[in-house]
Amino acid sequence: MDLDANRSLIAAALERIPGGDRAALQTVYRLTSAKLFGVAIRILGERSEAEDVLQEVYVTVWRKAAAFDAARASPMTWLIAIARNRAIDRLRAGRQNRRMEPIDVAHEVADTAPAADSALENAQDHARLHGCLEGLVAHERAALRGAFFDGNTYDELAERMKVPLGTMKSWIRRAMIKLKSCLKQ
Amino acid sequence: MTDIDDHSSMSEDELLAAEYVLGVLAGADRAAAERLLQRDPKFAAMVAAWEQRLTPWAREIADVSPPPQVWEAIAAALPAPPRAGLWESLAFWRGLALAGALAAACLGAFLYLGALNRERPLVATIEGGGSRAFVATIDAKRGTVAVVPAAFSADPTRVPELWLIPADGKPRPLGLLRADRPVFITIPPEFAAQTVRDAVLAVSLEPPGGSPTGAPTGPVIGTGKLTSL
Repeated sequence: MDLDANRSLIAAALERIPGGDRAALQTVYRLTSAKLFGVAIRILGERSEAEDVLQEVYVTVWRKAAAFDAARASPMTWLIAIARNRAIDRLRAGRQNRRMEPIDVAHEVADTAPAADSALENAQDHARLHGCLEGLVAHERAALRGAFFDGNTYDELAERMKVPLGTMKSWIRRAMIKLKSCLKQ
Repeated sequence: MTDIDDHSSMSEDELLAAEYVLGVLAGADRAAAERLLQRDPKFAAMVAAWEQRLTPWAREIADVSPPPQVWEAIAAALPAPPRAGLWESLAFWRGLALAGALAAACLGAFLYLGALNRERPLVATIEGGGSRAFVATIDAKRGTVAVVPAAFSADPTRVPELWLIPADGKPRPLGLLRADRPVFITIPPEFAAQTVRDAVLAVSLEPPGGSPTGAPTGPVIGTGKLTSL
């Protein structure tokens, strides 16, 4: 599918939702639910919780679609942020299913190629981010991965990587500063 | 990329925004970031900028198709749609479907008593899982079937398809249905002889465009026997 066309289809449908257009929400769901379900499963580690979260996400989209501004944000970025936040809220509310196996930096898996996906339009943005992540020290990159993909907190990352909490905080903060500066270039 | 020894290039607020988007905060820290997000437009802009920077990473997560009941639950959680024109109003058609048997009975009686039509209409209430999904009325003279949705919720990935199952038990495709309005289908002439009393109508969920095989491939969500009024 033409990705630009896909992006404008999603944005146009989001703009019809505040008028109470259910078919527009259904269009958004059809075009984006597989990506958001993948994101929720990745963070929560299991399907049934992810199904509940997916339901909450689209009910939130129905209520908050008026806040989406196509001139300022990509629709997928906006939707994925809602899905990640809802999944993280769910993860923090329960204590189960945490990914807590140790992270071994020496055997850290290389960043994988983009999965075959239907809805994320910005291959260039991904390539740029990927390049900047490659510029980080391996332990910084591993810590960011644990947070972004597994939904780990500072405490959990410190435990998984066997470092003091203060060390983990400065790794992450330093990595974020480097990322911002690299992405600016 | 140069290494950075202090945090001077990012304010505490911006670091908090970055941590919030990354997802490392918990408890009081996450709640504080959420409060700031609601109240402080500058903080909200920082969060949006960090979402823009980090979200492309999600490209590495593979798509997973959710099961159809997720959409059904979402549709059920939405507020009732605003009143639309009568033709567009599903509530109207649902009401009509509930009154359908009575209305058809009156019509049938008229037709019968007036001897305008020797053939009495056949109706089928297509039910499954304890609820009435569609009501079908066959006009044998014209060779059409009118199908009105009742308690059927749309599924975004699959479409309802109507089947005729005569005495031989083999389903014949009649056409695609809609969740939001009635459809009128012309019965193929080769099936006309089987569209008789006690034949069964069934609805299955199929890929967009209908069953690719000519036989039901998805779950059957309801069936109903044709009865004459």
